Amino acid sequence: MKCPMETREYEVLLAYSSHKLDAAEQSLLDGHVESCPACREFVLAQRAVCDALDAWEAGPVTADFDRRLFRRIDERVSWFDRVVRPFQWFGFRHVVPIAASAGVVLMAGLLLQRTAVMPPGPERDTAQMEALQPEQLERALDEMDALSQLSRPVHADGADSAM
Amino acid sequence: MTAPDLDAELMLRVKDGDGSSFGVLLDKHRVSVVHFLYRMVQNHAVAEELAQEVFLRVYRSRATYEPTAKFTTWLFRIATHLALNALRDGKHERVLERLDETSSDLPARQVPDVRPSVEQSMVYQAKLEEVRRAVAALPGKQRAAVLMHKYQELEYTQIAKVLNCSESAVKSLLFRAYETLRARLAHMA
Repeated sequence: MKCPMETREYEVLLAYSSHKLDAAEQSLLDGHVESCPACREFVLAQRAVCDALDAWEAGPVTADFDRRLFRRIDERVSWFDRVVRPFQWFGFRHVVPIAASAGVVLMAGLLLQRTAVMPPGPERDTAQMEALQPEQLERALDEMDALSQLSRPVHADGADSAM
Repeated sequence: MTAPDLDAELMLRVKDGDGSSFGVLLDKHRVSVVHFLYRMVQNHAVAEELAQEVFLRVYRSRATYEPTAKFTTWLFRIATHLALNALRDGKHERVLERLDETSSDLPARQVPDVRPSVEQSMVYQAKLEEVRRAVAALPGKQRAAVLMHKYQELEYTQIAKVLNCSESAVKSLLFRAYETLRARLAHMA
């Protein structure tokens, strides 16, 4: 076989030194290394390095690692959540009565549109207010729906509230 | 046919809102990430701080996660990036100070049945110090390549993706790194 040192196939010698070659390749190189001083020197030195690195213990992870991590996850609120969060209380506590009120107003507006005869020359401000109010309320309702859906607090275990 | 990447599947579940899968990934990779970062920066407190940042970034990326590479490749890419930044930004200066101290950072040797003698303990500590200094002397990318190759047993292709270089560049990095380590540590045989 070709000498890995001569062919510069050092990764073969690295794998051989760490016993990571398959049995056939390992056996083939056993024979070569025995007869090749350059490869033998490389392997002996590499195994000494591996043994030394193996002795380097990294120590245990601290017991409160996870607790600190999940606290950081909770604290690192995105800027969007910072915008949404103030409305979260409003959305949860008031969306039902406001939705009900808006629904009543919308119904009334629709009925008025169908049955009322348009008086000549209504005051411009009043007509505009009557026309605008249902639209404003509908828009406000849509926005509150969107905000309440998007506000999802992250719990301490890293789980989303939707899980 | 490549084996399925179970970690990537777990991460996709996290993407779908399954928080418990994030806990499984954390349990599986916590130690290896902390240990990798410890050997990179050689300071336990800094290593844990960086490891927390790694998992924080993993969690925050869940909505946009795509399994374009093995999960461990992505994980160690984040870890290596943070470690190299920490080394560049001067946290390694704290490490150099600690190497000269009688450091409580050094783990107690675990000998199950027989207490080591004082002499054995001193010899072990001296050997450990020599290993730490040898690794600390390696440039950042060589250090990362060796640690991923030796302790994480990542393939050359994975290390290449982590370090954003070619496979031949990884082999070159490893050759130079191990050559330096052989020169400094071969006498320990």
